[in-house]
Formats: sequence, C-alpha cells, structure tokens
Amino acid sequence: MDRLPLHQDLYLIAHDKSGKAFVHPTSLSLGLAGAALLDRLLAEPFTPIGGRDPAPAALIKGAAAGGIYERTREELLGSGVLVRVTGRRLGMLPYTRYEVADIAAVVRASSGVRAAVEGWKAPDARCAGLCGLVAVLRLEEQLYLDQPAAKLVARLREIAAGATPPVGELVETVDTLVAEAAIAVYR
Amino acid sequence: MRAQQNIEQFGYRQELHRGVGLADLIFYGLAYMVPIAPFAIFGNVYSESGGMPVLAYLVGMIALLFTAASYAQMVKAFPLSGSVYNYAGRGIAPPVGFLTGWMVLLDYILVPCLLYLVASIAMNASVPAVPVWAWLVGFAAVNTAINLRGIKMTVRLTRILIAVELAVLALFLLVGVWALLRGEGHGFSFSPLFNADTFTWPVMFAAVSVAVLSFLGFDGISMLVEESTGGSAQVGRAMRVALLLAGVLFITQVWVAALLVPDPAGLIEHPSDTAFYDAAAVAGGEWLRHVTTAATALSWGLVNTMVAQVSVSRLLYAMARDRQLPSFLAKVSVRHSVPSNAILLICLLSIGVGLWSAARDDGVALLSSLINMGAMVAFIVLHASVIVHHALRSGSDRLWAHLVSPLIGAGILVFVVINANIMAQLLGLVWLGLGVLALITLYALGRRPTLRSMPAGSDRR
Repeated sequence: MDRLPLHQDLYLIAHDKSGKAFVHPTSLSLGLAGAALLDRLLAEPFTPIGGRDPAPAALIKGAAAGGIYERTREELLGSGVLVRVTGRRLGMLPYTRYEVADIAAVVRASSGVRAAVEGWKAPDARCAGLCGLVAVLRLEEQLYLDQPAAKLVARLREIAAGATPPVGELVETVDTLVAEAAIAVYR
Repeated sequence: MRAQQNIEQFGYRQELHRGVGLADLIFYGLAYMVPIAPFAIFGNVYSESGGMPVLAYLVGMIALLFTAASYAQMVKAFPLSGSVYNYAGRGIAPPVGFLTGWMVLLDYILVPCLLYLVASIAMNASVPAVPVWAWLVGFAAVNTAINLRGIKMTVRLTRILIAVELAVLALFLLVGVWALLRGEGHGFSFSPLFNADTFTWPVMFAAVSVAVLSFLGFDGISMLVEESTGGSAQVGRAMRVALLLAGVLFITQVWVAALLVPDPAGLIEHPSDTAFYDAAAVAGGEWLRHVTTAATALSWGLVNTMVAQVSVSRLLYAMARDRQLPSFLAKVSVRHSVPSNAILLICLLSIGVGLWSAARDDGVALLSSLINMGAMVAFIVLHASVIVHHALRSGSDRLWAHLVSPLIGAGILVFVVINANIMAQLLGLVWLGLGVLALITLYALGRRPTLRSMPAGSDRR
C-alpha cells in the first residue's frame, strides 16, 4: 500500500480512534504544517533551509493559520481513511466526529517511527522528520513503546537531529513555533 | 520563493498577520493598564501625595510619555522584539540585558500577586465574611486553572471588557459629579491638583512612585509589533495614545473621587485600600460601592491577570531559552498550548507572597512600590539603551529623540526611584544584588549571557 503524505501520518498519530486530538489545535496545526513543508522539501533536491526565502518559520505559520488542520482532515476523508460520524448526545446536542475507518491506518502511520526507535530499521529522512515531530508534539505515548517518556522523547529527537540537515532544522523550527504559540498574546 | 510557491501549490494560504490595527493596539494597552486602575490604589496615592492625586497621575503620565518615546525608538531598531531585556541586551550589552531582565522580573512576578491581593481586598469589602486570604487563594486557583486550560484573551473579548470597564467608570463619574452638584463631598476645587500647604517635591515624587503602577502595561503593546498592520511606527503611536487616554481617564476619576473623600485629613494620615469605594458610597450609596468593588475584582482578579500571565511567561521563556534562567521555565504544554511550568511557578509565588502581603497593613503599597521599582529601573535602562544604541554607537544626529528626550525621561524616573518607599528601595537593591550574584554564577559556569535571535514572536519589554 502507498505511504500517506507525512502530515496525514502525523494527523493519524495525533488523534484517538474517535477522532479526538491529543494535543492543542494550535500546536497540532504547526506540526502538520511542518510535516507538509518537510514532505515537499524532501521531494526536491536538497537546499539548506536557511537559504530559502521566505523563512520556513513564516511558511509554517502561514500554513497553520491558513487551515492546514481542516484540509488534512478533508484529504483523509476524501481518501476514505477517516469517516464522518454524526449523531446527537442525549438525543439533543448534535455532534460530528471524524473517526478512523480502519485502525490499521494508524498502526501503519507510526510503524516507521516505532521501527526506528527500536532499531529494527534505519530511518530515512522522512521517518526521522516524523520522529522529531512526534517528539515535539509529545505524542510518544501513542507509539505504545515500553520506554520512559523522557528517554523516548530524547531518542526521537536524536533520530531527527541525526538526519539530513533540513529535517533537524525544520523540527527545531516547529519546536520553537509551538513554544511561541503557547506564549502568544492572542490565539 | 520556491518554498512559498510549494506551500501555496499545496493549497495553503500565506496568512502571517492577523492585522491588529491602531484601535485594537490601543484597546490592548488599555486592557493591560485597566481604565479603572486607580480604584484600587487611590487611597495610597491620595495619602502619599498629601491629597494631590491628580498631580501625581499627571506627573506619572508625563514621565511615561518619555518612556513611550524611547520604546518607539527601540521598537523601530528591533522590530521583532518587544522587551527591555532584549533592548538592553542588544542595545548596550548582554550582561546589562540580563540584569535588566532580572529587575523587570521583580515587576512581572509580583504583578499577578498584587492583582490577586487587590481583587481580594475589593471582594472582602463587599463580602466581609470571607477573609482576604481566602479570596486570594480562590482567585489564584481560578486563574491558574483558566491559564492551564489554555484560555486566552481574544481581540473581541478585549474590546468587550474595555467597554464594560468604561461603562462602570462613566457610571461613577456621572453619579459622582451629580453628587458634587447636589452639595455632597467638598464641592469643586483644584486642591487635588495642587495644594500649596502640602506640596513638596519629595512628597510628589513619592506619590508618583505609587501612581505609575496604574500606567504599567502601556508597554505591553510592543508585544503585538508583529501583528500590527502599521508595524513599529504604529506601535509607538498606539503607546502614546493609550497613555494619553489612560492619563485623562485616571486624572478625571481621581479628581472626582478626591472631592468625595469623607475624611481627607484622616486619609492622608492613614491610607486605606478601600478609599475609592468609600468615596463611591458617598456619591451614590452602597450600591455604587458594590459596583466599583465588583468591577475592580473582575478587572484586576480575572481580566488583567490573564494579560499579566502572558507577559511574565514570555519573559521567563525568553530568559530561559537564552539559558539565563532554569530551562524548565522554557517548557510548554503542547496539549494545552500554554507555558505550564511558568504558570505554576507564578501561582505558587503569588499565593506565597500574596498571603504574606495580605497579613501586612501596607501590603498593597509595598507590593506596588516593589513592582514600580522593577519597572522604573527597567525604564531607566531603556532610556540608556536609546542613548547608547542610537546616539553613541550609530552616531545619530537626532538630538531630541536619541539624547535629550531619553535623558529627561530617565532623569524624572531617577527622582521617582530616589523618593520611593524605603523598604521597596532596600528590597529592590537586595533583588539587584541577587541578580549580580546570579550573573557572576553564570560567568563562573561558562554560560555568559547571550541573546538568541527569535525567529518569530517576542517577549514584552
């Protein structure tokens, strides 16, 4: 089966089966934007991130503010990975959830990261980027690995830092933006 | 531009600026200052100024207009940064930046504490059965819960809250002026502006050292420089307008309140934290006392603390990221998108210092003086940064903006600091001494202060 784009994998890892996000929408949007940018960077010949204009931070903020979260969800709905479920709580309050159609998609999304951490398979740049973003968004619990969180996060960051330059730099940028969003004046 | 094209091909819009215009910048500054701020410290300013609170607020406003002018110069020079800590570090030298950040921490750390204390005193005035300490713990717990859940101010909420505060202020002024016309209070007089019997310069500057508390926060506008539609020039303009607006509002309300004080001589002798509410009761009866106390409790205890929490978190984050404070302060909760460690630290400090202050008769006055001490020292360094960066290093020939104005501004503030509360001066010096020790420790550990370039966002002051 074809791999999903990086940001779609990250979306799946960042939600539970019922479609509830594990992290704040602001942080998640920045992570998804970083993943999307990384996917595009890796698809092209390597250029140092610092040499690009405008800066990756600006691109990531722009994509996050531009609704990457909703777009990623629509993409996954379109490809049948997610299904829209509507209903009424207590028979009155309407709700809409975006559930995973097949849990195997979530397992596949995180399989590369698990393999890299456990040392079963050497990570490629894409996988290293996902490792870094999982660490930045503190999604390590969703890997279901029997390791202390701090150790796991350190390992994930180490994998990202050890990859080709744009990966580590981009993960660092997302990390900074997530922190800055947390201390922003306005949401 | 390839990366940008990529992201746009991908279907994502470039949307960097939310476009905060001049009006919203001014609203933010007013929300930070609180248009009804003098309600809470009126008694202390009245007492310190020998019954001339209007003059104290007028001098305070003039002093801070010079500070706003220096801010405008530094925001122009460093448009990505809105921090005295950064301005001093970049404009003069990183160790100066560290010590300035350290001094301004005194202000930032204590502000939430003072806000809780004032709100608690206001609520205790309305509901005496619940002691001040219980209100304080309650306010701290509610605010910490709100902050940890990631609930933040929005542009619209800021506008609504300002409108509510202005409505309460308008109500007080209408009822107060009507009461004066009916013959209540002492009738119209210029004595709240100038009274030759009590005026001396030391008394005046001591009063200014308390009154400037109400103006602190105008500089918070600099945090929005990146969102500003008009850039750094608009930020400078917004600071000036917000200061002038707040100054007019403060002067008007303390003038009316001063004319309604039931026992002027007694208040000068024995400052009271509830003097403004007593004046409101003289004007309109108990209902106006309750309206003004509730407005103070809400605006200080809930609204302003949310804004203050952002400021202190940003400063702690910036200094921790630069390895000048413990790194755990730079950690944020991704789940709720908040700086949870900084929030919890401030909560604990606020409760600890707040309970200590609540047990003192001069708790509000002392905390206010300490906060002002930190801010005044930081503002003096800000003026010095303008002179060093623009006049000395860049050789600017704009004598007024880059030399004379900062010199006058710094001069006024030096007089304010010299005449401030003695205990606040001592504690301020002790805090500065601790900062010097921390700086020496950093050097001994091989971690001499350096400033990282923050790609986005910035910290206040």
